Amino acid sequence: MNWRSIAAIVQKDATLFFRNRFFAVITVLGLVMGIVVYFIMPSTLEETLELGVYSPSLPPGFEELYEGEIGIQLLAAESEEALRENILEGEYSAGLVLPPDLVEKLSQGEAPDIKVYIASDQVGDMEAIVGVLIAELTQKLGGQSIEVDWQQEVLGRDMAGAQIPLRDRIRSLLVVVLLMAEVFGLASLMSEEAENRTAIALLATPMTVRDLFAAKGIFGTVLAFGQAAFFLAVVRGLDNQPGVILVGLLLGSTLAAAIGFLAASLGKDFLSVAMWGALIMILLSVPGIAVMTPGVVSGWIKVIPSYYLVDTVSQASNFGAGWGNVWQNLLILLGFSAALFAVGILAFRRKLR
Amino acid sequence: MNPRQVAVLLGKEFTLGSKGFLFLLAIVGPVALSLVITLVFGSLFAHEPTLGFTDEGASQLAILIEEQTSIDSKRYDNAVALKRAVEEGAVDGGIVITGDFDETVLQQDRIEIPIYIWGESLAKDRAILTATVADLVREVSGREAPINVDVVGVGDMEAIPWSDRLFPMIVLVTVFIAGFMLTGASLLDEKEKKTIDALMVTPTTIGEVFCSKGLTGIIIAVVMGLIILAMNQALGSQPALLVLLLFLGAVMAATVGLILASLLSDVPAFFATMKLTGILLYAPAIVYMFPGIPSWVSRIFPTYYIFEPIVEISQQGGDLSDIMLNMIILIGLDVLFVVLLGVLITRRRQYAV
Repeated sequence: MNWRSIAAIVQKDATLFFRNRFFAVITVLGLVMGIVVYFIMPSTLEETLELGVYSPSLPPGFEELYEGEIGIQLLAAESEEALRENILEGEYSAGLVLPPDLVEKLSQGEAPDIKVYIASDQVGDMEAIVGVLIAELTQKLGGQSIEVDWQQEVLGRDMAGAQIPLRDRIRSLLVVVLLMAEVFGLASLMSEEAENRTAIALLATPMTVRDLFAAKGIFGTVLAFGQAAFFLAVVRGLDNQPGVILVGLLLGSTLAAAIGFLAASLGKDFLSVAMWGALIMILLSVPGIAVMTPGVVSGWIKVIPSYYLVDTVSQASNFGAGWGNVWQNLLILLGFSAALFAVGILAFRRKLR
Repeated sequence: MNPRQVAVLLGKEFTLGSKGFLFLLAIVGPVALSLVITLVFGSLFAHEPTLGFTDEGASQLAILIEEQTSIDSKRYDNAVALKRAVEEGAVDGGIVITGDFDETVLQQDRIEIPIYIWGESLAKDRAILTATVADLVREVSGREAPINVDVVGVGDMEAIPWSDRLFPMIVLVTVFIAGFMLTGASLLDEKEKKTIDALMVTPTTIGEVFCSKGLTGIIIAVVMGLIILAMNQALGSQPALLVLLLFLGAVMAATVGLILASLLSDVPAFFATMKLTGILLYAPAIVYMFPGIPSWVSRIFPTYYIFEPIVEISQQGGDLSDIMLNMIILIGLDVLFVVLLGVLITRRRQYAV
């Protein structure tokens, strides 16, 4: 390998890349948009349903009803008016007005009148939920007619009380989108070299085909890796297991560069390369969506190489997974990257002929 | 302008252009977007937790669970499938209803129910699931406590489901991919490849070229718009009026695309400009997603007048009298953009013979 030639090509590509308005804009804009999207997403996840309760005389034992439970919290309001105001301000999901003779009526088998206040835009969603919660509440206050004893078995990591906010779930999707956006840039640079026959001209110099591909691969990988690492550093994605995540990003960047070679060999001009890049990017972003909405997609998602990057970033940054937990992901990612690099180089070599 | 010449060029646009990726994107893109939005946002912002269950007998509880509105439910064939669904997060919790469940409930005062809980389900969702099932168990046993619940809405906010809030965005993307992007990129592609210069040495005029490009985008935008409306069950009772509105919207998209393309020199610059200014096109649809933002903000943007009448007709059940003012503004904007395009064409007579 002629490292001087490789360095020269990398330097030339970097200059051309940032001189191109389109790539310069999507690179900077992509990064900025990714960071903005992250920070406008909710930073907390509301795990508790807060119900305001007002009664002229609260039933005995009322405060202890849901003591120690994370899912439901009963908050006593000073007046019916205060209850309504707190609902409008979003303090409570719903407000209950309990009659002073609630327990007496329940013990006599009579139906107590319970008024429920719900924000008008939430009535449709909350009415039935509050209905069953009131039934549960009155059972607890009036004595259970039939007692249900729950035998809970939690499957998977129990995250109750420590849920991952949406912004942190979306982080791995944003990383993949950023990395794959670089597929556009690299693919277009490669395609231009083939279209303008400059690649052929380069090969007439002492530079070998291996040097040319090494230079393009290094440029693509460094460009993608730099952006992804910067993004994760800004959005605090490197706070947990930075070593694992950075290795995952490096392999993911190699994958992006390899796919760039493939897209370059598939398209014949900027437009078709951009469109192939877009289609590939959409496909590779699917595992990121799966992390946001678990259960929507199933096992087939693992055939998409970016799944192993998304899973590694998500597991390490959100759950603190270490080398022992994600080594298989990294190995598979390495395998995919190597295989796609080989296929991409072969396909692009054919295009050069 | 010779209509026959325009028809010939239009035929060529469809026969040659249909092999291009932008054509494919204009057709596949909106359909994929509509499906992804329904899939992702349908579950991301869903309020109700989901209970999976398997019924080993013919329990009344299973029927009641399916009828219940405080939770969503999914029936599974067996306990193995149910447990897998909980592990994958397809449901928040899962119960197995044994063959003798109803008899046991009728005979006993205390009942044990094993429940699988997905580790990442929210604490409040777990509470709602168990409260709901306990309430239904009491119903099966005939021992539910009588309660009179009076629900009162607080405030004047209107509930708009997320699928409805995102609908204008889908409509705009559909109209603009074909009307704006396909039209503009196609013209610039011809400029870059100098095929437009070749056309100018024939009797074809620059106006006829622009007209055929615009018509191609308009036809695809209208057809895809109708497909998207049908997919979202939004054709309503006045499809003819919707076709007219889609046509007027597509005219705006196509003329703006052609104006931009006539001012720029290459496709990358077109995409870069689109990235920078795209937010202006979609801003009213973004504002529409958040009812808290005053609606006058949307009215500043011309694209508001594309989707608002469509939403009014297809989702609010409005008629011509309800949309008349906005439709007149849309027609006015179309005329304005067409005149502007005409001025630009006249000034750029360098293409003409």
